[in-house]
Amino acid sequence: MSFLFGYVRPCKEELKVKEYNMFRAVYCGLCKTLGQSANQLCRLGLSYDFTFLALLLIALDEEEPRLAQESCLANPFRKKAVVKRNRHLEYAADMSNIFTYLKLVDDWQDEHSIRALLTMPVFYLPVKAGRRRYEDKYNFFRELLQELTALEASQNNLLDKSADLFARIMTGIFTPDYIEGEREKRVLRFLGYNLGRWIYILDAYSDLEEDLDNSNYNPLILQYEYRKGEGLESFKKRIQEPVEFTLTYTLSNLAKGYELLELHRYKEILDNIIYMGLYRVMRNKLEGSDGKGERSLQNTGTE
Amino acid sequence: MKDPYKILGLNKGASKEEIREAYRKLARKYHPDQYVNNPLSDLAEEKMKEINWAYNYLMNEAPDRAGGSNNYGYNSDSRYIQVRDLINRNRLLEAERILDSIGSRDAEWYFLKGIIYMRRGWYDQGYRHISRAAGMDPGNEEYRAALNNMAYQASSYRQAGRGMEGDGCDACDVCTCLLCSDCCCECMGGDLITCC
Repeated sequence: MSFLFGYVRPCKEELKVKEYNMFRAVYCGLCKTLGQSANQLCRLGLSYDFTFLALLLIALDEEEPRLAQESCLANPFRKKAVVKRNRHLEYAADMSNIFTYLKLVDDWQDEHSIRALLTMPVFYLPVKAGRRRYEDKYNFFRELLQELTALEASQNNLLDKSADLFARIMTGIFTPDYIEGEREKRVLRFLGYNLGRWIYILDAYSDLEEDLDNSNYNPLILQYEYRKGEGLESFKKRIQEPVEFTLTYTLSNLAKGYELLELHRYKEILDNIIYMGLYRVMRNKLEGSDGKGERSLQNTGTE
Repeated sequence: MKDPYKILGLNKGASKEEIREAYRKLARKYHPDQYVNNPLSDLAEEKMKEINWAYNYLMNEAPDRAGGSNNYGYNSDSRYIQVRDLINRNRLLEAERILDSIGSRDAEWYFLKGIIYMRRGWYDQGYRHISRAAGMDPGNEEYRAALNNMAYQASSYRQAGRGMEGDGCDACDVCTCLLCSDCCCECMGGDLITCC
């Protein structure tokens, strides 16, 4: 299966303009940092998920981030507030590069995806540099991804077990070495675990149609024993309730971890992502009325 | 000494009413019921103590009552007691090893297995095992309370999101409060929240 990213995003219409601009400033800061990390093409790897990581890490830092007014390629004539490069943006950019690269290698080996093969070189150099800086993390991610591939090849039918490996990768991403406090680390690990678990399961649900058509691995199909001739819609109907429950419970735990962090800023934006953004993305994916669902955030919360 | 106003997220000189309101909100958030079978429950407990302290300090009351304990009920099989003890100390691998060595799979077995899964983050298996335990022993209140608690946690997450939409949604607040007080009276018998 492939990991579509971009699930972790704010619910824009509930943000104040001021808050939205702050979010943009971090997003643009990360984009610029990615561009500086080796080549401009790295910016293609930019996703909301890593923006959330950067946002959270900056929020935990006592030191105020520095802002600059800058323009960019996408918007060359208007200057906007951008968070200046700092260690959190660097870390998030490095993790984004490493992770994107490992995913591409995985996709290539798994599915012989030509797109993956062609995109790999973009990330090769920054990853080579990042690898030295994050030797342990790089190996940790690689091993877990390999384990996940093996588990999928063995047709594992326990949803929790497959989700666990992906969740553990996220614990690594959410705990940069420079965070020294044991308490903070523990909470971030827990938060990362639940976020990873949620992404993995939601992604499995979103991919049901594609995976059924192509006979790809999907833990939901195996755990809930899809019956031949059952049809996608009735299968979805059958599993929606337990899947929604486990996803919501996972989010509630993620929120529990989040509430134990000491934030110095961005609380409104982070609250928005955790209590509204994630929930709505999930609802939209579960209702699945919109195909890929990327535009679905426009439809505001009718339940 | 930490600033009690800061702990409650208030400005200096907040009125008693504001203090009570802030306390109620936070106590709801960090209440032990919200962290049942959560590996971070000790941190939530610390936070709760801090909030209680700040509240009592500001309201000029006698400090700290005894906090809730998270011990489980009783059971006759000594190995089950041992497993419960290990779970409480977060030694999940050992707990699971002992549990797996027990031949008879009764309701208690499924319950404890489910709790271990929950602690590990395997919520789906956890829920299934605890449901199974509750199905095998429908009269057991502990099993049922554990299931209710999961549903309660998931629903209070949803309520929190709804409460943030637009300008304050009092109906939701009231609802969360009712749910919360209901649950805390049922499962804990404690009086951490003054409103119930």
